[in-house]
Amino acid sequence: MHKADQHTQQQIADLVDACAGYWELRGITRTSSTEMQLELEQHLQQAVHDGKSLEAVLGPHPLAFAEAWAREMHPRVFRGGAAALRGLVYVLSIVSTTALLSQLLVHSSAFTFSLFAAYLLIGSGLLALLLQLGGFLAPRISTRTGREALMLAGVVLAVLILRLVGLTVNWSMALLSWSWPVTALLLALAALLFALDVWCTSRSEPPSSATASAPALRYVTTFVASVGVFDVMLFVGSVAVFNFCRLALRLV
Amino acid sequence: MDIRSTQLLKGTLDMCLLATIAQRPCYGYEMVQQLAQQGLDLVSEGSIYPLLSRLQQHGYIESYLVASRDGPKRKYYRLLPAGAKQLEQWQTEWEAFAQAVEHILKGERSDAQSRPAHPTTDR
Repeated sequence: MHKADQHTQQQIADLVDACAGYWELRGITRTSSTEMQLELEQHLQQAVHDGKSLEAVLGPHPLAFAEAWAREMHPRVFRGGAAALRGLVYVLSIVSTTALLSQLLVHSSAFTFSLFAAYLLIGSGLLALLLQLGGFLAPRISTRTGREALMLAGVVLAVLILRLVGLTVNWSMALLSWSWPVTALLLALAALLFALDVWCTSRSEPPSSATASAPALRYVTTFVASVGVFDVMLFVGSVAVFNFCRLALRLV
Repeated sequence: MDIRSTQLLKGTLDMCLLATIAQRPCYGYEMVQQLAQQGLDLVSEGSIYPLLSRLQQHGYIESYLVASRDGPKRKYYRLLPAGAKQLEQWQTEWEAFAQAVEHILKGERSDAQSRPAHPTTDR
């Protein structure tokens, strides 16, 4: 009984986390998102306590539920642009900080953005996104291990398909190359867009929020930490991923 | 709950929620329970939250946190003057609509009783 309860608790936590991740992507303020998470979690807990299923609360498509709620949290004019702006901020921040770190570590004035770097960046971004939003599968695949196994299988399948269609590319091919001033410009642009994102999300705050504290500092800290962690993981993981991909492609 | 009932409820859920909150301030799950007690079972209970956010955006209701004995604070909703006014308007619209539908349904029944099943042609 206790084990079953823990299992359901994990499902609820994963679903709420997935919703939180999605709302963050949709540009919902952290204050609003925290309130929404709290409300959803309490509802799910009480529903499960009353013998209802998670599906009875969220319907067959939890992502559709998260989207429907997110849509009502934004003023109409801002709905489409929030996710695009946030995505651009993340991509610019990661690319510019990666270039900066690379230039600092290699003591080189130029940074080359290779095809492998683009592949790694897109792949890591998609994987991070999938891991965060994987909780939406909780009502169908109840265990976290099951969901992660499904995602891993998807990645392996994608590699196999790429190989089977005969995609042979030169990974070291340079897509873009730039020097210090461009890196500085990209950093400045990322900072500017980030400030715009913070301003936009604070404006989309509901008229009478139940919690009044300004979350800007926490949001900035979280953003900087997530970009930093992503950069470090990208550097540490790049060699391993490169070797793994080469091995996988050789084995097929 | 069949598809027709679900669709009917979907179109009136915001009004039902506003009416529920008008009775007394309550939280999300409580609203679902009150609707169920009145015979309105929602297909997905979570569908109330986007609507509550919309009502809040329109300035019809406001939320506030209340300390709970069993855990973290709970979010309650209460009616605002604009919401009370809107509810009155919706109630008037609904009564007119329901009356019109009722007339049509009753009219069909009386026609069926008074007229033959198939129209006859004059020779």
